Amino acid sequence: MSRAPVPTQPASRSTAAAVGALPSRLIATFSGPVGFALKIALLSIVNALSVWSLTTLASRDKWVPFIVLALATLAIDGIYLMRRAFPLKFLIPGTIFLLGFQVIPVLYTVEVAFTNYSTGHVLEKNEAITGIQGAALNQPENGRTYSMAPARDANGKLVLVLVDDEGGRAYVGTPDGLEPIPSSAIRRDADGAIVSAKGYRLLKGSELFGLDKQITALTIPTSGQKAIRAEGLDTAIELEPVLRYDRAHDQFVRIKDGVVFRDNDRGSFVSAGGQELEPGWKTGVGLKNFSRMIHNPLVRGPFLRVFVWTFVFASVVVLLSFSLGLFLAITLDKKGMGLQRLYRSLLVIPYAVPGFLSLLVWQGLLNDDFGVVNRGILHAHIPWLFDPNWAKVSVILVSLWLTFPYFFLVSLGALQSIPSELTEAAKVDGAGAWQLFRKVTLPLLLIAVAPLMIASFAFNFNNFNNIYLLTGGGPATDQPIAGSTDILISYTWKLAFAAGKGADYGLASAVAIVIFFIVAAISTIGFARTRVLENVA
Amino acid sequence: MLNKQMARVGTVLLAAVAVALLVLAPGAPAAHKAAAATTIRIWTDQDRKAAVDRVTSAWGNSKGVEVEVVVKPFGKIRDDLKTIQAGQAPDVVVAAHDWTGQLAADGLVVPIVPNKAVLKLVPKYARDAFSYGTGVARLYGMPTTLENVGLFVNTSLVKVPKTWAALEKSALAFKRKSADNLAIAVQQGAGGDAYHMYPFFSGLCGYVFGKTKGGSLSPSNIGLGNKAFLKNAPLIDKWNREGLITSKVDSSTAQNAFLKGQAAYWITGPWNIDTVRKAGVKFQIIQVPKIKCRAAPFLGVNGFMVTKFAASHGVESAAKDLVASYMAGANAQQDLAAANGRYPANVTAGKRITDPALRQIGRASTGGVPMPNIPQMGSVWDELGGAWVKSTKGSGATPARSAFATAAANIRKKIASG
Repeated sequence: MSRAPVPTQPASRSTAAAVGALPSRLIATFSGPVGFALKIALLSIVNALSVWSLTTLASRDKWVPFIVLALATLAIDGIYLMRRAFPLKFLIPGTIFLLGFQVIPVLYTVEVAFTNYSTGHVLEKNEAITGIQGAALNQPENGRTYSMAPARDANGKLVLVLVDDEGGRAYVGTPDGLEPIPSSAIRRDADGAIVSAKGYRLLKGSELFGLDKQITALTIPTSGQKAIRAEGLDTAIELEPVLRYDRAHDQFVRIKDGVVFRDNDRGSFVSAGGQELEPGWKTGVGLKNFSRMIHNPLVRGPFLRVFVWTFVFASVVVLLSFSLGLFLAITLDKKGMGLQRLYRSLLVIPYAVPGFLSLLVWQGLLNDDFGVVNRGILHAHIPWLFDPNWAKVSVILVSLWLTFPYFFLVSLGALQSIPSELTEAAKVDGAGAWQLFRKVTLPLLLIAVAPLMIASFAFNFNNFNNIYLLTGGGPATDQPIAGSTDILISYTWKLAFAAGKGADYGLASAVAIVIFFIVAAISTIGFARTRVLENVA
Repeated sequence: MLNKQMARVGTVLLAAVAVALLVLAPGAPAAHKAAAATTIRIWTDQDRKAAVDRVTSAWGNSKGVEVEVVVKPFGKIRDDLKTIQAGQAPDVVVAAHDWTGQLAADGLVVPIVPNKAVLKLVPKYARDAFSYGTGVARLYGMPTTLENVGLFVNTSLVKVPKTWAALEKSALAFKRKSADNLAIAVQQGAGGDAYHMYPFFSGLCGYVFGKTKGGSLSPSNIGLGNKAFLKNAPLIDKWNREGLITSKVDSSTAQNAFLKGQAAYWITGPWNIDTVRKAGVKFQIIQVPKIKCRAAPFLGVNGFMVTKFAASHGVESAAKDLVASYMAGANAQQDLAAANGRYPANVTAGKRITDPALRQIGRASTGGVPMPNIPQMGSVWDELGGAWVKSTKGSGATPARSAFATAAANIRKKIASG
């Protein structure tokens, strides 16, 4: 589970100083000859591994990864051996992580948003054509099945030796058709498998497996469109194609009634009557996914309601968490308080326990008939997860539980960074406790904490886990898809993966992009406000 | 100065190591090439790995094929097939039958045609679970193991009921004995659980998708609001008033209640047989008795599929031999079923099951309905589960007729949006 960013302020200055001493000692040790030898050793291992990988790649004709790896290895050696390239040591890994974890997924999402990538539209077009041909084979009524053994005839030509499952007549099948042979020429074992055939050499072992493509491509015409095909290693069956691919016109024709299936430019062959052949293929569809968001009543209907709730959820969680975190930080910041460290550690526990675990535990605690909260603590019967409004309260409370320790830590750090001269000066000027907090502490604190609040808002705006694991977006409303506690991202998830026909990655990506712009807009406004705050201070 | 000198030394050192490895390295890739032609790669989940290893290596040894078993989380098997590079792609996968529609529509798996001997051994309903096609229905997987829920009865608390009326009476009588007791423990929770509730749904003559003339499931024929079911739906309101079932019960509540003797009836599947045994509860498993229609459970069928990659890897005939013929055999299925405590699809292997609980759960599957395998099923789960939650949440519950009619309308809208 991803988390809001960790606080940058050290928890206390004295411990920070103590910690600082150790790295500098380490640096001193490792910048000498010992460190240099270690560096050479590590680089040698890296180089050895990459040379070994390069030979493997070359032997498999993987030239693109070969070149990438070769350049990467040279770059690593260059960076670590040349003095001038020293700053790159830090820049390059950072850039690689940025590319890998941020830029590439974003580009991929944008790319997918403009395609029809979804269930039934995964393959390339030529693969889809092969797929349609393979699936559109019918086993005709009274279609025959055969025991089969691939073999070579006297001229070395690939044939199938066949014994009809009904009647036991023996044949040799070639691309020209079936040719009867005396059944006495064939010996079969107890299971009915063909063991030998006079005049033919049965294929075995690696010779047999090496001919896989020829064997599966071999069709033995019987009557009309029907043909016998090998199925596995010892069975052959008579199959009849239902569709014919017309390469010249790039269309499929249904054999029995001549219905034509044409490429609809959206990744499918479709008949005039609207019947679609499966599989389809992945292709660009321009802005269709975005226009679906506007025109599809399923998306449009609950959007505003879900958007408002998402906004309320994210802001309330951040504001409550900040208030509670700050309150506790101020309370525990008193000098001379006993067991201060213990309290502080206890408060961080919700933050330290994996979030998904807490969420599942909370789900149990809030069960209104059997949960501890109702039964053991409140002795009430509050429908925490079953009533639309109480469910909203529940997700906010549980998110508060998961988020306040973060603001507690941040505020604790920020409080200690406020110069005591300022607070003392204010006291001398006669400020009361509330005035001191309101006029001095809070403004100074907000300079540090406000950007983190915006980050936390953006995080909670897309906090899929908290919603999905606690209420699953429920309880259900009468509207399809959007439950009472669904936020935009969980709603998108349901729209893309639990509606229509299987998964719709194209639509999901398009909605994700829209959500990004919403969050970006809100954050930009927020950051602009923060700057004003700094000016005031 | 010192550093420059050392850098030169270091470079020489690096070069030496590199050259040494260059000489040693080619051994590995060469070995790989020789093996490539006759290796079949299988994706399985961790639970089945040991059994798949054993069964497939027996096949591989007899055919002279090398089998490489790769472990993936179960759901990942379905999802990763879409994105895997052809070079690393599997030829055969372990699969759940309800993936069939999605994978076939994607074109990632290929149809198989078993021979007649196999057809006799693997019953039609299990094969139907793996059949899919909008025009022609084809078989996309070989069923190996079955799973379904049944009614677990604590025989030291109650007698095994023969009729629905007897079950209802005894469950309610047991519930009245203590405030902590549940009548029938069946898991729902706020999110709902259409799978565990299915016996009640089918018992009131509900169905999810009707069939076309050709026998395949029709996404436009939705049975949630069918007349017979709506006529019977007020029984749900009665059950809700009586407290026979309540959506407040989630999986852990249901399990705890049954194991602690606070529920005499529990609807669950073979995955909990060991748990119940360990708790020392004396139990018997039956199908929920007929309510208005047969209270058949959902069937989950697991099996093996051949992927489209087998053809490009040049192992299609071998892969089909493994899946369509060998995996159908009684010995292979017995092994697979035993390793996971499930009932085998092969009837001969089924007769060899000696575990009484497993035999009982097998019998409880009679007339079971395979979970619909068309991709549109994704639009159903939440709505069907949600209708049960709304109509069985105790006070303030929505009348069942309206809850299920709304769900049916929503499912129609969701499917139309695709």
